[in-house]
Amino acid sequence: MDHLNRRRFMQLVGLGALGAAGTTALTACGGGSGGNSIRYAWWGDTVRQQKYTAALEAFAQQNPGVEVRPEFADYDAFQERITVQTAGRDVPDVFWIPSPHVMSYHDAGLYRRLDDIPSLDLSAFSAAQLDSFKIDGELNTLPRSVLTAAVRFNQTFLDEAGAQLPADDAQNWTWDRLSEFLIDYSRDAPPGRKGIHYNAQTDLCFEAWLRQHGQDLWTADGRMGFDAAALAGWFEWWEVLRRAGAATNLSEQEGAQPEWPVVGDKVLVTFGNSNHIADEAPMFPDYEFGLRPMPVLPDAAAGHRFGYLSRIAVYQGIDDESVDLAGRLVQFNINDPQMLQLVGLSVGAPANPAMLRAAYDVANEDEKKMLAVVERELAEEQKPRYEAPAGSGTWRSIMTRGVEEVALERASVSDAAARVIADIDRELGQAS
Amino acid sequence: MSHDTLVRPAAQGLPEQRGRRRPPSFRRQGRAAHVFLLPFLLGLVLITAVPLLASLYLSFTDYDLLHDPELIGLDNFRRMVEDERFWASVGVTLRYVLVSVPLQLAFALLLAVVLDRGMRGLALYRSAFYLPSLLGSSVAVAILWRQLFGHEGLVNSVLGWFGVTGESWLQNPDTALSTLVVLNVWTFGSPMIIFLAGLRQIPEELYEAARVDGAGRVRQFWSVTVPLLTPIVFFNLVLQTIGAFQAFTQAHIISSGQGGPLDSTLFYTLYLYQQGFQSFNMGYASAMAWVLLLVIAVVTAGHFLLSRYWVFYGDER
Repeated sequence: MDHLNRRRFMQLVGLGALGAAGTTALTACGGGSGGNSIRYAWWGDTVRQQKYTAALEAFAQQNPGVEVRPEFADYDAFQERITVQTAGRDVPDVFWIPSPHVMSYHDAGLYRRLDDIPSLDLSAFSAAQLDSFKIDGELNTLPRSVLTAAVRFNQTFLDEAGAQLPADDAQNWTWDRLSEFLIDYSRDAPPGRKGIHYNAQTDLCFEAWLRQHGQDLWTADGRMGFDAAALAGWFEWWEVLRRAGAATNLSEQEGAQPEWPVVGDKVLVTFGNSNHIADEAPMFPDYEFGLRPMPVLPDAAAGHRFGYLSRIAVYQGIDDESVDLAGRLVQFNINDPQMLQLVGLSVGAPANPAMLRAAYDVANEDEKKMLAVVERELAEEQKPRYEAPAGSGTWRSIMTRGVEEVALERASVSDAAARVIADIDRELGQAS
Repeated sequence: MSHDTLVRPAAQGLPEQRGRRRPPSFRRQGRAAHVFLLPFLLGLVLITAVPLLASLYLSFTDYDLLHDPELIGLDNFRRMVEDERFWASVGVTLRYVLVSVPLQLAFALLLAVVLDRGMRGLALYRSAFYLPSLLGSSVAVAILWRQLFGHEGLVNSVLGWFGVTGESWLQNPDTALSTLVVLNVWTFGSPMIIFLAGLRQIPEELYEAARVDGAGRVRQFWSVTVPLLTPIVFFNLVLQTIGAFQAFTQAHIISSGQGGPLDSTLFYTLYLYQQGFQSFNMGYASAMAWVLLLVIAVVTAGHFLLSRYWVFYGDER
């Protein structure tokens, strides 16, 4: 310290302060993207993070001199972060859209139109498809994948029991027949195993139930599309199974939103999204899993089949010089087989028909089952499906409380259904 | 030690007369002091004061983060009155504060008294007991708690040895909060260390005098230890109460951010977080934050007011 006198020290402090100020200024300048760098935001688990990071590196190699700045987070954290980024007008240039916020982000003006970007080739989609992707008449998002509601079953357990699911046809693959089968199976199942886990808040499967009953999750004018009777019927379907000992209770599955590692070896059948088989089947490598579309009511409403489009968007406030690069990156996501090879199918079946065909070449056995179920679902007649309106972001939490009330026997099915309806209605009202 | 060494060096440079121009060396020292203070002051203003004032403004607005805030007067505060989940979160938090803080302090004091008896391996025990406090309300501990109190957790396994079949403690609305109370009590290390330091300050002569007067251990504890330790109890009480009002992480992890089952672990801060970052009612969340701040301030002021009746500082009451 002998050589570090006060003058020298003050000089160092001054230099440090200048450096810090400079760094801050440069960082601030970096908030937007220049023409050669672009921010890409997505969600998922660690495996998906690694796969997409590799894919973004491949994209950078395809486009020399380009830098892709990844912004990755867990699904819940992603929603929180991008909303806060919106408040600060610091939104990533290209980002995935969580299902509850498609319309919220649209209302906030986050989406840039996509059909005027020369580097983005939309020729793989038919005009009708492109029309169905539009929000308020504008093509400002594109589907990067399609998910459907599906029933996953453990074929190994079935073989062990010498049992078979009801035949996969309109007469036998019904809600009632499935319920009867699960109750029968559970009577003779090995200790600790049940027919199904209690998964009444799974949104796509609930939506399938609603559409078969001639209702919708959301309406075209941004309201709830279902009534208390339909919800009570859904709750009751699950309660019959729980009371019969065919569904795990909330204690056995550690909550109303069970984690697959907790229940994966305890149940024969699982309701969920079609794409979940890609990540969840490998967690139990000793078992073989099968996948089917949802059971169907004998008098199901026409056009009840549907696929959920998982969307990607370009930020409205993107720098003009970055638009072309953003188009190339979206193009890479939805049109490039190399991307498919690198990231796999954990996000679902490609929405691009050409990529869907290419997906069979890279899919493993479980993923092929997913592709087949999605293709089968989408081949059927479909009435329009509407995105979740602004203010509906917490409807899943409200649903979870309703499920807890019913499954913990703290409220009757009808009371719980009425409360869920009232709570969602209030949330939507506060947002409007 | 010479008398000169007791003179504070800074005093040597003090001006002899008011109004006299300060010497250049003093001004340079002042500048240096400001430079050293600058990082803290910048942090105070930019990271604390500005957001604090911004949240005060936002508490009077309808703000969803996606659109510009819109002034709505006191509507957010009125909404709290009618919000069932708000009151549920108040109830959960008050129960947690009222049960967990006294239990934690009692447990910490008990352990401190035991450790103060000069047992062998004291440093080891002290470190071991302090360890949970280092982990605190961390994610790792919350996950550990799920393993302990889950359906197939250690607690139910032990109960199973005695033929008791248990449900998941965390999925039962009647027991979920209790597990979080136990978690808080378990992190008693910090108040225990402070109690231990306080115990070491009590003069041994007082115990000797009490023994001469025929006081047993229990009487010594209540008539000597407790009265002289009341300033430390007060200090711990204030800190732990404030901390308990702000409890968040453990409930967030254990209930997957829901505060369930059936809102039984919906702490005030968790509901505030849900409103701000899940429902995106940032105006309402800001109003809730200010209500919490005021409640903590009132409770702390109440502690200080009541302290004059039970906290002893030397010979003052």
